[in-house]
Amino acid sequence: MTDAHEFETFMRNYQDMVFSTAMRLLANQAEAEDVAQDVFLKAYERFGDLRESKTAGGWLKTVATNLSLNYLSRYRSRWSFFSDLLGKRREEDDSAEIDFPASDNVEEDLVRSERREMVEQALRTLPPAQRVPLVLFHMEGLQYDEIATKLGVSLGKVKTDIFRARETLRRKLRLKLGDENPAGAL
Amino acid sequence: MNEHENSQLEAAVHRELKALPNLRAPQSLLPRVMEVIEQRATSPWYRRDWQTWPLPLQVISMSVLLAAFAGLCFESWQVVHVPAVVSATNEAGGWFRVLSRSLSTFGVVANALLLAVRSLGPLTLSGIIMALLLGYAACVGFGTLYVRLAFARR
Repeated sequence: MTDAHEFETFMRNYQDMVFSTAMRLLANQAEAEDVAQDVFLKAYERFGDLRESKTAGGWLKTVATNLSLNYLSRYRSRWSFFSDLLGKRREEDDSAEIDFPASDNVEEDLVRSERREMVEQALRTLPPAQRVPLVLFHMEGLQYDEIATKLGVSLGKVKTDIFRARETLRRKLRLKLGDENPAGAL
Repeated sequence: MNEHENSQLEAAVHRELKALPNLRAPQSLLPRVMEVIEQRATSPWYRRDWQTWPLPLQVISMSVLLAAFAGLCFESWQVVHVPAVVSATNEAGGWFRVLSRSLSTFGVVANALLLAVRSLGPLTLSGIIMALLLGYAACVGFGTLYVRLAFARR
């Protein structure tokens, strides 16, 4: 098997994970695809080490996260301005809740997949200033101080943005706290 | 929202986000990457990144660069001690001295003017400025009038 064929197999194994990481941070398919392409081109340069490595997945995830953040910071002056501007308007629009199908009437798989799509959609509509720290905290497992360092903002801002993001998701997804199950969740 | 509710919300959001499976990568991603890899593989070595050049070429190019840099340093050192260059440097120094004297003369004249202006007092100064402005306006006005009259006769 040639290097190229082997790399193709390697890429098939990891492309969804890399694309998802970029997509959840950037919330834009074209940009996420560009970042994923750069990640795999970097991976190809180090394929000699990565092909046998058990930590290849972690390496790819870290590179995807860093490249996505670089992409955002390159346009930070633009997006942070607009995110602050649009954030307020979006928060006003957050009252529009998503209707969930009643789990009693539809197939369990369908409900689950629709629920996931709704969560993805809610995540995509968050302003970048809230979405990025939220994803880094809950999905990438970073701590508040690590996020603050990565984004070059204060710890207080990270906590506030994540708190606002959770509040927005709570309203959008009608999350119930305590022992109650979230609406539409299984 | 109290601390307890806050931690419950954190847990609920965490549960929701962690339950998300990976998104499906677009079909175009794999062919795109493989195409770039193929392009890079087929492009000549000199059009690729230096890091990807064959090792002998890296060594040769680095040696040539280092030799060029060393040669440049050596020649610069030699040139500095050539008599013609030394005299040219001295001459250039002389020009700079002349320039420096001119600048200091200009500074003295500017200071004298400033002192004279300060001694005139605000009333006289505003009168002079007004006279200058009026003179300027008169020049513009008469000039415009003259041009219009001259063209009107034609």
